[in-house]
Amino acid sequence: MKKQPNRREFLKGAGAVAAASTLPLTSVELAFADPSKNFTFAYISDAHIQHIAGDRFVRNWDRGLIRAVAETNLLQPKPDFVMFGGDLAQLGTRPELDHGAEMLAKLNYETHMVMGEHDYYLDLGEYWRELFGPHWYSFDHKGVHFVVLNSILTYHEWTFDRWPTPEQRMLEMAGLDNPNGSPFMVGDKQRAWLATDLSGVSKDTPVVVFSHSPIQKLYKGWNFWTEDAEQVQALLQPFSDATVIYGHVHQIQYNQIGNISFQAVMATAWPWPYPGTYAQAEHTMPKLTVPMNRADPFFERDATGWQFIDLSNGRVSMSYNLYDNTNRTVAYDPATGTPVDTRYQNVGDRIPPQTQY
Amino acid sequence: MRKTLFALIFVAGLLGAIAVFGGDTADDPTLGLPPVPIPEDNPQTPAKIALGEELFNDMRFSSTGEVSCATCHDPEKAFTDSPLKTSEGIEKKTGTRNAPTVVNAAYFHTQFWDGRSPSLEDQALHPPVNPVEMGLPSHEPILEIVRADPGYASAFAEVFGVEGERITMDHVTKAIAAFERTQIAGDSPFDRWFFAGETNALNEQQQRGYDLFVNQGRCVSCHIIEQTQALFTDNRFHNIGVGINNIQSDVPDLADDFLEADLKLSEVDVEVLADKRTSELGRFAISHGFDDLGSFKTPTLRNVAATAPYMHDGSVATLRDAVVHYNNGGVTNEGDPVNDFLSGGIRPLNLEEDQIDDLVAFMEALTSPGFTVPTAAPDEG
Amino acid sequence: MAKKHIWVFLVVIATLAIVGVSLRADEFTEADLERWQNEYMSVVKEGRALWGSPDLGTNGVACGQCHPNAANTHPETYPKFQQQLGRVIALRDMINWCIMNPLEGEVLELNDPRMIALEAYIAYERRGVPLDPGKH
Repeated sequence: MKKQPNRREFLKGAGAVAAASTLPLTSVELAFADPSKNFTFAYISDAHIQHIAGDRFVRNWDRGLIRAVAETNLLQPKPDFVMFGGDLAQLGTRPELDHGAEMLAKLNYETHMVMGEHDYYLDLGEYWRELFGPHWYSFDHKGVHFVVLNSILTYHEWTFDRWPTPEQRMLEMAGLDNPNGSPFMVGDKQRAWLATDLSGVSKDTPVVVFSHSPIQKLYKGWNFWTEDAEQVQALLQPFSDATVIYGHVHQIQYNQIGNISFQAVMATAWPWPYPGTYAQAEHTMPKLTVPMNRADPFFERDATGWQFIDLSNGRVSMSYNLYDNTNRTVAYDPATGTPVDTRYQNVGDRIPPQTQY
Repeated sequence: MRKTLFALIFVAGLLGAIAVFGGDTADDPTLGLPPVPIPEDNPQTPAKIALGEELFNDMRFSSTGEVSCATCHDPEKAFTDSPLKTSEGIEKKTGTRNAPTVVNAAYFHTQFWDGRSPSLEDQALHPPVNPVEMGLPSHEPILEIVRADPGYASAFAEVFGVEGERITMDHVTKAIAAFERTQIAGDSPFDRWFFAGETNALNEQQQRGYDLFVNQGRCVSCHIIEQTQALFTDNRFHNIGVGINNIQSDVPDLADDFLEADLKLSEVDVEVLADKRTSELGRFAISHGFDDLGSFKTPTLRNVAATAPYMHDGSVATLRDAVVHYNNGGVTNEGDPVNDFLSGGIRPLNLEEDQIDDLVAFMEALTSPGFTVPTAAPDEG
Repeated sequence: MAKKHIWVFLVVIATLAIVGVSLRADEFTEADLERWQNEYMSVVKEGRALWGSPDLGTNGVACGQCHPNAANTHPETYPKFQQQLGRVIALRDMINWCIMNPLEGEVLELNDPRMIALEAYIAYERRGVPLDPGKH
């Protein structure tokens, strides 16, 4: 009988955590000297609210966000805040952003927003600014320095000169496999701001960066890519506990580059294939990643989900709440110095749905 | 290997019995069904089955001496208590759930609407000690009877080689389960049409209904029909928006209170039948998983025309009402609010009225020979 | 008179040979191959256009939203037992399932030119992958 822990049982260490795991997930003794500094936050991402006409929106994506919000509200103990990871809208229109904001407003917690390309390229984030505030910023919470980047910018020429209308520009960026697209980047201005922002942070302060694009170069064809990834990474490498949490990919991914852990979040809308399933192109997906279970498209919420993140000892442990699938936890393992899946990391522990081809 | 052997022996015996007692010798009552799963520690024997049947029908296993398994699982009513919405135990006490049929229950991986029981053997332990079902304080009264009654004594000795104090509930439930494993029924008009190639076994409307069932109606994904067999259940749990729609705003508090109470499984059995609102939590009460909120096990649709009313709470009166509920996308009245935890498989179907009738006609073709469909509509009350 | 006809005949043959048209009924030429490949690719392009089109369904969702570059369509595994339909089906039956379900649209006739175009595009993006019929 599959048992899925809810938040409460997760804290007790019960439920889906493999008995063989020795990871100090929320083990208070090994965490901050001051246990009050352990905390959790929830992460909802990639809702892709899609307007059809009038007051009709694509029901499938609506239900995904509704469900994530309802379940997040059930978490006990309560998370300190909720992040929304970008792509609230599908084509960046006001009805979509409004409809999405309305659903997010039902969250019982303080919410911080990350920009996605589907939110940005219609009006370059003007309405987003009105609704949600700045496109990039930082904040501190219980001894952790959080940074939100707008990492889906691209070359100036593509953004301002290439397309005859904003609608066209948005459509071109909306197609994941569109050869007319353009690679994501953080850009010079933001990197300069980041350098200044981080200069005031001590190197042993845990740093968590929220980004829509991966801040890695995984697969350019689908923009699982950040053009200036190395330069952003260089700014983070000096920190002993640095984590990048990113959206956009609609699938479980995780990686370690030097001092920096990378963890992707699920979409609430729909899953994407892994780049390895596209037979005509090369990619550099992290070998570390144990893939999510394949989707059964009959169940519209399959291979979608939301997550909650435990920060203990300054390191991230991310629990993926999946529908009708065994929940997954990817947590930083000090023994290996990388994130690992607490149940499936060993090849011998994999299950058939994790075979992607 | 052994369990397959016994299953085959059983089926052969059944076929032989049919051949002896008349009826079409070409009929296979299991047409459309796979072999019955028989656990290794409880092989079928004729004596065990007979003992199980006796226990199943014994009303002494209740505090008032008036309720047996057969009270709610009546062989004359396809092993349900149709037309009752929720069952009536001792002193006509009611619970919260509709009695599922025993027919083909052997194919379920778990028993009860929320799957809280892992086997037929385990399931038989619960109703005797539930206050609204058979109301016994413990299993002791049952053991006293089977140990003292001379008829039972010789039966237990023959079947299990035990007597007196060595007879336990393990033996009692094994015998009951063995009897239940003989209640297998396929060979419906659908089976003869689909698996035996009898092109006229379904009329045109029923064939249109089949087409809707596997295409626009989206039924087949949970009510499984496969190439060589049809169980009509996926043995999984889904929130299809029955019952929970009425308590939507209470779900956070209910779920929280339930987890706080930290009940043992036997206490869960009592609680879900005692409190209607807790009952609506469904599988969540067992697994504590968010995605099981309001989820219930997919029942088989075999003989569904004989087992009205429908759903875990008996709140859906007719098959047509059931199809309308699905057509509305998981709400009873079109336009009602959809609950937040609805299964991703449930969505509006855009069926026309005649298509709904076609689906009902198809489901009526899932009745096995020998089962009667009640001609009067069940009470609306 | 006959001699003149023979000369005309020989000139025609030479011209045809230069242009690359085979005179033997069952021999196709490089030019034929190239032309036929282009004919095929023209339909692949139509399939690609349909792939991103919001008009196959009624809710604006396009195939490419879940299947970039037709990934995860697995044409090499068909016919297969398709769990969502409860029986063994061909690729086009699953295309219709997707049009009916996530795209909330009307199914296509099996010989609809759009169906052929979709299959052509799907197969093209999966070229080189060996057949593995029945694989789930």
